[in-house]
Amino acid sequence: MLSRTAENLFWSARYIERADSLARLLEVGYRISLIPNTKSGYINEWESILETSGIKETYLQQNNKIKKEKIISFLLFDANNPSSIKNCIKNARENIRMVRTAVTLEVWNAINSTFHDLESNIRSTKNILKELPEIIEWVKKQVNLIRGTILNTQLINDGYDFLILGTYFERADFTARIINVKYFILLPSVNYVGSEVDNFQWSMMLRSISSFRAFKWAYGEEQINYIKIIDFLILNMTCPRSLIFSVEKINHHLERLGNFYKQKTKAKSQVKLMYKDLKKLNANKISDIGLHEFLRSFIKDINLIYSNLEKKYFFGTEE
Amino acid sequence: MFNEVYKNSKVRKPYNQIIDWANSLPENVIVKKKNEAESLFKRIGITFSVYNNFDSTERLIPFDMFPRILSSSEWNTIEKGVIQRALAINAFLNDIYNTAEIVKAGIIPEDLVFKNPAYEVKMVGFKVPKNIYSPIIGSDIIRINDKSFKILEDNCRTPSGVSYMIENREIMMRMFPELFEKLKIETVENYPTYLLEVLKTLTPIKCENEPKIVILTPGSFNSAYYEHSFLADLMGVELVQGPDLYVDDNITYMKTTKGPEKVDIIYRRIDDNFIDPISFDSTSLIGVPGLFDSYKSGNLNICSAPGAGVADDKAIYTYMPEIIKFYLGEEAILDNVKTWRCFKTDEKKYVLNNLQKLVVKEVHGSGGYGLLIGSKSSKKEIEVFKKKIETNPSNFIAQPILELSSVPIFSKKELSPRHVDLRPFCLVGAKKTKLVSGGLTRVALKKGSLVVNSSQGGGVKDTWVINE
Repeated sequence: MLSRTAENLFWSARYIERADSLARLLEVGYRISLIPNTKSGYINEWESILETSGIKETYLQQNNKIKKEKIISFLLFDANNPSSIKNCIKNARENIRMVRTAVTLEVWNAINSTFHDLESNIRSTKNILKELPEIIEWVKKQVNLIRGTILNTQLINDGYDFLILGTYFERADFTARIINVKYFILLPSVNYVGSEVDNFQWSMMLRSISSFRAFKWAYGEEQINYIKIIDFLILNMTCPRSLIFSVEKINHHLERLGNFYKQKTKAKSQVKLMYKDLKKLNANKISDIGLHEFLRSFIKDINLIYSNLEKKYFFGTEE
Repeated sequence: MFNEVYKNSKVRKPYNQIIDWANSLPENVIVKKKNEAESLFKRIGITFSVYNNFDSTERLIPFDMFPRILSSSEWNTIEKGVIQRALAINAFLNDIYNTAEIVKAGIIPEDLVFKNPAYEVKMVGFKVPKNIYSPIIGSDIIRINDKSFKILEDNCRTPSGVSYMIENREIMMRMFPELFEKLKIETVENYPTYLLEVLKTLTPIKCENEPKIVILTPGSFNSAYYEHSFLADLMGVELVQGPDLYVDDNITYMKTTKGPEKVDIIYRRIDDNFIDPISFDSTSLIGVPGLFDSYKSGNLNICSAPGAGVADDKAIYTYMPEIIKFYLGEEAILDNVKTWRCFKTDEKKYVLNNLQKLVVKEVHGSGGYGLLIGSKSSKKEIEVFKKKIETNPSNFIAQPILELSSVPIFSKKELSPRHVDLRPFCLVGAKKTKLVSGGLTRVALKKGSLVVNSSQGGGVKDTWVINE
């Protein structure tokens, strides 16, 4: 497979995952604006949404105030925001268009029509606040459709591995960032443990990665606490949004590629080590290391693995 | 003007059944099917972008559902004529880059060949694999009357439109399967297989194994990008861009996830100038440094050969009957359109005095740009062109205002005739020359218009060759 093809597949899937994550973040924002008692928390919440999506700076360059409507349209449609949902879909489609021959017609149709329909959705949107839930639902549905066509129609070959890798690198990075932006609410604090504020903040965090109900299923009726949340978001293998889940996927698909090409790679041995270490960890240990420290080094490691993957498969420059 | 459907108010034989079908379609069905076709084109992504248009708007080429039909005997003439022309063009190119017998024999003026902007001095004396310079030739054909087809121009660099030929058929089959059950319509779907077969025979000298073939595209912003990816997909070859390739020690490689892989044959959809910034335009970002040296060292074949464009120049075109005679010893099966060459004083004089009756074209122009249709131009426009011709006569040719034949389209309420042309795609391999039975019919959608180019409001139709 051409190196560029692999790169385009990877990034296409990565942008699709990003569009999905952004839609889920917006959903949280929308929920918050429906809850009356959060006046003070409200601005903070939108601010951390901007921070999580990594576009706070860009936003503040173009807008001087944190304003709900502005942020929503900035995240959804803004052409000047490189990570708006619109641009993510556009980039995903552009990447796939460059390698049309590497995906099935069904995958292409799903991505291409998502792109065209989004354009016409944007044109017909009149009241962004009122229509937000529908738009979010639609984005999530389209992403699920695209992913379904990938799972059901693509050959399970190296191209498939690159598509899946794109998804999980993005998800690992995104989940780590969500936790990192809000890490302080997962710190043991004498005053707040178990308080209303904590419960609210925690549930919002779970919702932002679509894991609120999943958490309940996984931990039952036990009292919610920060250790359980850390365990769930980082170390729980059954949670598809946890860090270890993404790392396991990356490990698996890099291994498949290594076998497929009969080559050893740095990225592969690094991710294997990372996965092994994660399996040995527990939430209390992470709390001892310091959650913030842990996340910082996690993000660094994931980026290093990505850059080695890129060197090996996309640029052909690994020694 | 020749109406392909009606002759003396009787329906011509090839259209017998289709006219009844078209007339029986209720208005709401026509509207429904039109929308269906459009959404199919859009969903599949059959779009083209207009040059210099860098935003993300991609346009759909308008598709008309009324098919253009040729009988198999009519097709036979076209096929023979096109093959004859393709062989002559390749013989001509081989000659002018070697001993130039045709110039020595005084048949074509020296300057027209050697001073031609498409003439590539670097190709002189180089032995092109199997002597095939131009393996894919798309000639534009117009119909004059019941008997006669004429060639309007040849495209022997990188003719486009073949994907429309195939997709138009796909869409017609999807929408009106009943027609295909009833009528014996020749298929066109073998084109990519034929193309692959032909390219496979054009191996460079230093290629002993099964050749690795790729298609080289300028990228997804190119107007014909859909076609490039379409062909790569159906041929099962990689679609590469310049940066995917590199040359090391005169061998061309593509970068793959497994490491470098040698490439033997490139079907390029990039102009000569841009293929290699070392040998040609140094500002090219879409080319591959060293590609031309790799070609000349016999490690690589580039199809079509650099410099093949001389043969589709409009001034050379006027000599095609002589070219066919010179190399094949045959009379041309398909005539040229009568053409006045402005570099000849007496012909220029005629042109200047009769501009309102003529179409004047730039010799190297294409896509319907830079032409004057005398009968449809104002006095002022004619005066402007007059000056242009007088300043640089060798840059212009003139042809009579042709009455392109007409075929109906589904317009708002009823069938309404529009002018059409035809572009079949001829494939020239080392052993065989062939084409699929069909081509691209382009149609001028504006009433009375003679310009069929998609960049100027033209559309396309499915083209049927019907077995009688």
